[in-house]
Amino acid sequence: MPSEPLLEVHDLHYAYLGRFPALAGVSLTVEAGEKLALLGANGCGKSTLLKVLDGLLFPDAGTYRAFGAEITETGLEDEQRNRGFRSRIGFIFQNSDAQVFSPTVREEVAFGPLTMGLDAAEVEARVHDTLAMLNIAPLAERAPYQLSGGEKKRVAIASVLAMNPEVLLFDEPTAALDPRTQGWLIELIVELNAAGKTIVLATHDLDTLPLLADRAVVFGEDHRLAATGPPDELLADHDLLLITNLALRRR
Amino acid sequence: MTATLPPAAPVPTARWLLEPQVGLCACAPSGRRRKGTYVTRTIDAAAGVVRAALFAEDAAAQPGLLQRLDARVKLVTLLGLLVAVSLVQQIPVLVVAYAATLVLAVLSKLPLGAFVRRVWLAIPLFTGIVVLPATLNLITKGHVVVPLGSWFGHRVGMTAPGLTGAARIVLRVATSVSVAVLLTTTTRWTRLLAALRALLVPRMFVLVLGVAYRYLFHLLGSVTDMYEARRARTVGAEDGRSGRAFVAASAGALFGKSHQLAEEVHQAMVARGYVGDARTLSAFRLRALDVAWIAVAVVAAGALVGLDRGL
Ligand SMILES: Nc1ncnc2c1ncn2[C@@H]1O[C@H](COP(=O)(O)OP(=O)(O)OP(=O)(O)O)[C@@H](O)[C@H]1O
Ligand SMILES: [Mg+2]
Repeated sequence: MPSEPLLEVHDLHYAYLGRFPALAGVSLTVEAGEKLALLGANGCGKSTLLKVLDGLLFPDAGTYRAFGAEITETGLEDEQRNRGFRSRIGFIFQNSDAQVFSPTVREEVAFGPLTMGLDAAEVEARVHDTLAMLNIAPLAERAPYQLSGGEKKRVAIASVLAMNPEVLLFDEPTAALDPRTQGWLIELIVELNAAGKTIVLATHDLDTLPLLADRAVVFGEDHRLAATGPPDELLADHDLLLITNLALRRR
Repeated sequence: MTATLPPAAPVPTARWLLEPQVGLCACAPSGRRRKGTYVTRTIDAAAGVVRAALFAEDAAAQPGLLQRLDARVKLVTLLGLLVAVSLVQQIPVLVVAYAATLVLAVLSKLPLGAFVRRVWLAIPLFTGIVVLPATLNLITKGHVVVPLGSWFGHRVGMTAPGLTGAARIVLRVATSVSVAVLLTTTTRWTRLLAALRALLVPRMFVLVLGVAYRYLFHLLGSVTDMYEARRARTVGAEDGRSGRAFVAASAGALFGKSHQLAEEVHQAMVARGYVGDARTLSAFRLRALDVAWIAVAVVAAGALVGLDRGL
């Protein structure tokens, strides 16, 4: 099948603990090389969808196909499958506190490459390059949980980039960053995309949306998709933004 | 089906919020001070645990003898020495063994005072309570050397065999705890996990330990945040009782919070390919030092047991 999309979800349903619905019939495709943004109000299910795409949560109903194979919980128990999938898709969490768990920043960044089974020299080189690239080399021996919010975010990003995945999922990448770092991260995302990486990100930042995405999907409050299209078009549709809680209503 | 929350503030903002609060802002000092309450002390204790754990990481980074050994070699040899110590009966031999742990601590550049304190603080708690009654002639028969008075017409006191037995147990525990502290303070946590994995400890067990460690830090962070948030909202002095009520109530909230975080931490590890194998940057290598150490440990264990039998 030459034209199969890179990632494809069909009629996803997911409820936390079987009681709190987060996704209620979401279908979506992600093409190789695109930048896709997920928009929607707080609690509409963006983070949940990203976790499904990363193979961390498994839908109650509906299917998820990635890289031409269906992703299921039992499927990922296969070690080779698991390694292949995990190294092709990376996820930067909304809560970077959860994402940093190693004793030092250096080990945090090395964690992914090591689990991928790269040899020691290669891991060293990758860690060195990523630390330099994200400007966190001076923090290398510090404990990640002792860093500031923005520094933690950079460590989280470094720890995923070191694995060099072909798909990057970002959950609110620019939250908690100062304006200059935000600008830098936006450039980085654009650059990575130009280098062929597929980007899916959840965001509330409508100002930077046209830079960050070629295409956007809008979640409604009913945990389904309300619209899909190029960012400019969606942003121009004031009614859509109003009903999805993305725009301010004048009082 | 639950929908998302309605757009913020369809309800007019309460009037009182838009007006300044009068009268409460007595920001000048009144001269009255209060010592920290239970709540404040909890924050300090939380910070203390983090500091202790960091002390362990610092010690593990020192260029000492034990730090330079391969983690697997260290784990196995120290376990072997523990077994040897548990077989020793003679008090002088136990004293020698304990002294040897102090020498190892010094060779590994551990602060000796902190090391000794750490070991001996743990002992009265776990051993003293059990051992003390056994020194009495009511339990261990023999010549009473320390008379304590009489009880229901019986003379009560500590007997010579009772005291010897107690000294043996306390020394043995002190030596064993010292060995355990030596192992854990001179080995990075991740290397210890990797060593356990290499020694075929089940993956699931190592995984749980790994998450638990990360989790401990978060839990302490959460405790600190919650107490600080409370302190920031407490106007006036805190009294002990409401402080304790808060502790009880917050324990529940903390549990929910930390459960959710543990879940996310685990997801973050899985997302980067974790399936239970702890891998570390520096590869395990058996070097001359390791081989020499193995020889020393075997001889030492043999000598301890042999000396014990010989005496
Ligand atoms: N651990 C959980 N347990 C129970 N319900 C949850 C949990 N996590 C999320 N939910 C619920 O699932 C729904 C979707 O949550 P999700 O985190 O995906 O939203 P989101 O779109 O990422 O929101 P935000 O913009 O605030 O990050 C929400 O209604 C939320 O209350
Ligand atoms: Mg979210």
